[in-house]
Amino acid sequence: MEQYFDILIAFFLVVAGLFGFVGSFGLIKLNDQMSRLHAPTKATTLGVGGVLIASILHSAVSEHHLSLHELLITLFLFLTAPITANFIAKVHVHRHQTPETLPPAGEDSTWATFMTEDKDDES
Amino acid sequence: MSLFLIAALPFLGAILPALLIRAGRNASSSAAGAVSLLAFIGLLLNAPAVLRGEVVTAKLTWLPGIGLNANFMLDGLGLLFAGLILGIGLLIILYARFYLSREDPMGQFYTYLLLFQGAMVGIVLSDNILLLLIFWELTSLSSFLLIGYWKHLPEGRQGARMALAVTGSGGLAMIAGMLILGNIVGSYDLSVILQNKALIQSSPYYVPALILILIGCFTKSAQFPFHFWLPHAMAAPTPVSAYLHSATMVKAGLFLMARMWPVLAGTEIWFYIVATTGLVTMLLGAIIANFKDDLKGLLAFSTVSHLGLITMLLGIGTPIAAMAAIFHIINHATFKAALFMSAGIVDHETHTRDIKRLGGLRHLMPITFTIATIASLSMAGIPPFNGFLSKEMMLEETTHTLWANSHYLLPVIAVLAAVFSAGYSFRYIAHVFLGPKRSDYPATPHDPGPGLWLSPAFLVVLVVLIGLFPNAIVGPLVESATAAVVNDAHPPHFHAKLWHGFTPALYMSMAAIAGGLLVLYAHARLERGWLAARRPEAKQIFDSLMGAATRTSRVITDTLHDGALTRYAAIFVLFSLSLAGYAYFSGTTVTPARGTTDASALPILAWVCLVGATLCVVFFHRNRLLSLVVMGIIGLIVSLSFNYLSAPDLALTQISVEVVTIILLLLALNFMPQETPVESTTGRRFRDAVLAIGGGVGVAGLAYAIMTSNSVFPTISEFHLANSYKGGGGTNVVNVILVDFRGFDTFGEIIVLGIAAIIIYAITEAILSSRVRARLLNRKPTFPQAGDAHPLMMVVATRVMMPIALMVAAYIFFRGHNMPGGGFVAGLIAAIAVIMQYMASGFGWATERQRLPYHGIIGSGVLIAAMTGMGAWFNGMPFLTSAFGYIHLEPLEEFEWATAALFDLGVFLAVVGAVMLALESLARYAWQPGIASEHPMDINPERDDALDELQES
Repeated sequence: MEQYFDILIAFFLVVAGLFGFVGSFGLIKLNDQMSRLHAPTKATTLGVGGVLIASILHSAVSEHHLSLHELLITLFLFLTAPITANFIAKVHVHRHQTPETLPPAGEDSTWATFMTEDKDDES
Repeated sequence: MSLFLIAALPFLGAILPALLIRAGRNASSSAAGAVSLLAFIGLLLNAPAVLRGEVVTAKLTWLPGIGLNANFMLDGLGLLFAGLILGIGLLIILYARFYLSREDPMGQFYTYLLLFQGAMVGIVLSDNILLLLIFWELTSLSSFLLIGYWKHLPEGRQGARMALAVTGSGGLAMIAGMLILGNIVGSYDLSVILQNKALIQSSPYYVPALILILIGCFTKSAQFPFHFWLPHAMAAPTPVSAYLHSATMVKAGLFLMARMWPVLAGTEIWFYIVATTGLVTMLLGAIIANFKDDLKGLLAFSTVSHLGLITMLLGIGTPIAAMAAIFHIINHATFKAALFMSAGIVDHETHTRDIKRLGGLRHLMPITFTIATIASLSMAGIPPFNGFLSKEMMLEETTHTLWANSHYLLPVIAVLAAVFSAGYSFRYIAHVFLGPKRSDYPATPHDPGPGLWLSPAFLVVLVVLIGLFPNAIVGPLVESATAAVVNDAHPPHFHAKLWHGFTPALYMSMAAIAGGLLVLYAHARLERGWLAARRPEAKQIFDSLMGAATRTSRVITDTLHDGALTRYAAIFVLFSLSLAGYAYFSGTTVTPARGTTDASALPILAWVCLVGATLCVVFFHRNRLLSLVVMGIIGLIVSLSFNYLSAPDLALTQISVEVVTIILLLLALNFMPQETPVESTTGRRFRDAVLAIGGGVGVAGLAYAIMTSNSVFPTISEFHLANSYKGGGGTNVVNVILVDFRGFDTFGEIIVLGIAAIIIYAITEAILSSRVRARLLNRKPTFPQAGDAHPLMMVVATRVMMPIALMVAAYIFFRGHNMPGGGFVAGLIAAIAVIMQYMASGFGWATERQRLPYHGIIGSGVLIAAMTGMGAWFNGMPFLTSAFGYIHLEPLEEFEWATAALFDLGVFLAVVGAVMLALESLARYAWQPGIASEHPMDINPERDDALDELQES
C-alpha cells in the first residue's frame, strides 16, 4: 500500500519539477514582457502547488500526522501571485505602451492605467 | 524638624509660586515666603540643641556602593549659614515682591529663587561631600537662571553665561579635589573626613587636593583672578544680586573653606595660597570699587574686596582669625544686603544707577538715605556699627601674622585696602545722597512704599544692634560656628567691644578712615589717573578665551561630525579596526581547538547569492531602486541563514524587519532622484574601499577565531538555558531573555523606539510647517501617474489578508513564550497588516478609518510594560520580576499564564505604534490635494452599475 503512495508522491514531485522548470525556462525564453509574465505566475504556481500536495501526502502517510500548513501556503500563493502579475502588467502597460498601441478597451473609454485626466468626468 | 525636610522644603515648594502666579502676584510671593518661613522655623527649632554644642544629624543610605549617602548634619557653622540663607531669603522675597514690575514673570522668579535657596541650604547641611557636590553644581545652575532672569537683556545673558562658565568649571576642579580627599580618607562622609587631619596632611595627594578644592572655592567666592564674573552678574535684578552676593552664592566658597578648615588649614601652603589670594583680592576689589560709576558695580567690587578679607582671615589659620572671619561673614551679610537693596531702591525710583547722574537725594529720599548711610558707615568700619568690630578684629589679627618673615607687609596692605574700602563707602554716601539737589534725574525720586524699604531697614537695625551689643546678640552663634570651624569643642571666647583702649588696631582704623576721607576728597584727580592708565579688561580676556575654546571645539566637532554618514561610518570602522588591531598584536592568539565542518550545497548556494547580491550593491548602488531590490535579496538570505542555523526567532524578526524597512525606504525613494550623482573623488572611494575591506576581513577573522576555538570562560548562555524554564517559565530562551532576564534592556529599548518614532513625527511636523510644504504640494511627479492607483484586486486581497495577518500576529504573540515568536515580531506583523491597507486603499482613506492615535499606542505600550514591571513591587520583588503559573479550566487543556506576556503586550503595542507613526509621518510628505479618494478603489464596477441604474430611473 505504502509504495503506491510513494509513487503518487513521486509523481507530484516530478510534475512540480516539470512545471517549475517550464516556468523558469519560459521566463528566459519568451520574447516580450507580457508573454514572459505568464511563465512564472502560472506555471510556477502549479509547480509549487505540486510540491505542497506531495508534502501533505508525505506527512500523512510516512509520518502519520496530518499537516495542513501547506494549505495556508497555497492560500497565500493564490492571493499574492495574481496580484504581483497584475501589478507587473500594469507597470509595463503604463510605462511602455500608449492607448494607441493597445487593443480597444471595449465599452470603457480607455484602459484603467491611463485614466488620469478624465477622472473628474467619471463622477 | 528633620534636616531632610529643611533641605527638601525649598525644592518641594519651588513648584508653588509657578503654579500660584495664576492666582496673582501676592499669592505667588506669599507661597514662596511661606515655604522659606517654614524652613526657617524648622531650622530655629534645631537651634537650641546646636548652641548647646550638639550636632544634629539625619542619615539615609542612598548609594552606599559609591559612598554617596544622603547624610545631613547641622552644627554651628551650618546653623549660621542656613540661618543667613533662609533669613535673608525671606527678606529678599518680600523685597522682590515690590521690586519686580508687572512685565516680569514673577512665578518664574520665585521658583528659581527657591531652587537656589534649596541648593544653598543643601550645601551647608550636607554631611557627605558627594552630596555637597551635587548641591554645589545645583547652585551654579540655579544661579545661572537667576542671573539671566532678564532674558531680553544681552548683559543678563552674558553675565549668566560667564558666571556659569567660571563657577561651573571651578566646580569641576572641586569634584576632582573632593574625590581625591575622599580617597585619602576612605570615606566621603564629612564627619569622618574632619577627624583625619594628620592622615590628610601627610598624604602626597594633599597638595593637589587642596589646590583643586581651592580653585572651586575661589571661583565661587570670586577671588582673584576669578573675581571678574561677579560684577558682570550684576545684570541680574537687584533682589538676586542682594541675595547671591551678600549671603549666599559667593559665601558658598567661604563656607567650604571654613568647613574644610580643620583638615586643610594650618600648613604653609594653605597660608600662602589662601591668605595671599585673599589679600590681593581685598586690595584690588577695594581700589576698583572706587572708580565704578554703576551703583551695583561699586557694590560688586566692594563685595569682592570683603570676600577677600574673609578669605585672608581663613587663610591665616589661627582660631582667633577664624572667629573674626565668621563674625565678618555675619556683618557683611547684613550691611551688604541692605546696601544692595538700597541701591535697588535708588535705581527703582530714579531709573538710573549711574553715580555721575545722582547726588542730593538726601532730601528727596530720607528713609533710603538713612538706611544706605548706616550700612555704608558700617562697611567703612565706623563705630558703633558692626562692620567696625569685625574690621578691627581683622586688623588686630594682621599685626600678629608674619608674611614671608615680615611683620609689616600684611598690616600695611590691609590698612591700604581698608583706606580704599572706607573711600568707596564714603563715596556711596557722598556722591549719591549728599551734595546739591539736581534737576536732571531721569525720574522724580521719592521714597518708596514700606514694601521696598522694610527689608533693608530691618537689616540696618541689626547692623546697629550687633554693633552695640555684639556679645548678647551673635556671641553664642559665633562661638558655636567657630567651634565647628576649628573642630574644637572649646573655641576662643568671643568678646567684641567698641572700645579696646589705644591698641594698634585702633590706630590702623583711624588711619583707614582718614585715608578714606582723603580718597573721597581726591576722587576726581584719582579717577583721571585711573581712566588714563592701561588696565587689562577681564571681560575681553574672558571673551577671547571663550571664543578660542569655542572655535577649537567647533573645529574638532565639525571635523568629526560634519553630517556625512560616510564619515561617521569611516571613523567608527577605523576606530574599531585600530582597537582590534591593538588587541590582536598585543595579546595572545588562540589556537583553533575545533575542526571545521564540511559545507553542504545549500549554504554554498546561499553564500554565492549573498556575495553576488553584495557585489551588485557595490556596482549598482547609484541606481537607488535597483540597489533596494538587491538589499531585499540580502535580507532574505540572511533570514534564511538564521533559520538554517537554528535561530527561528531571529529569522522571524529579521524577515519582518526586512519587509517594514523596504517599505520605509520605498516611501523615501519617492522623494529622491532616481540616480545618485557621483560626488566622491577617486581617493575617497579608495579610502572607503580600504576601510570596508579591512573591516570585513577583520570581522570574518574574528568570527572564524570564535567559531574554531573553545570559549575562554563559561558563557552566559548556559545560565540562560538552565534557568529559562525554571526561573522564567518559558521554553523559548530567546523570548525569556527579552522579557525576563534582560527585561530592563527591553524596557529601555521600547522607550527609545517610541522616542525615535516621535522624533520622526516631530521632524515631519516641523518640515511641513515650513516653506517646504508649498514645494511638496506643488511637486510635479517625475513620471506620469497611473490612473488606477488603488486597483480592485489589490484592495480586495489586502482586505482578505488583514484578518489572516492579524491572526498570525496573535498566534506568534501567544506562542512567543515557549516557541519562536514574541511581542516584537507580532508587533511587526500587525503593523504590516495595517500598512497593507494604507498601500492598497490609499493614505487618506486608511487614515480616516484609523481612530486610535499612534502616539497613544506607543504610550500605552510603554505604560503597560512599566506597570507590569512595577507590579512586582507589590509582591516585594524588584522591578520587572516576572511571575508565572498554570491554570486548569475544565474543558480546556492546562495552560500557562505569565506576567511576562503582559510585558510582551507592552512591547507589541510600542512596536506597532512606532512603526506606524514613522510610516504615517513619511507618507504625509506625499500628500497632495486631490489624491485622497473617498472610495477604497478607483474603479468599482458595482459603483458604476449603481450609477447607471440611478440615471436610468
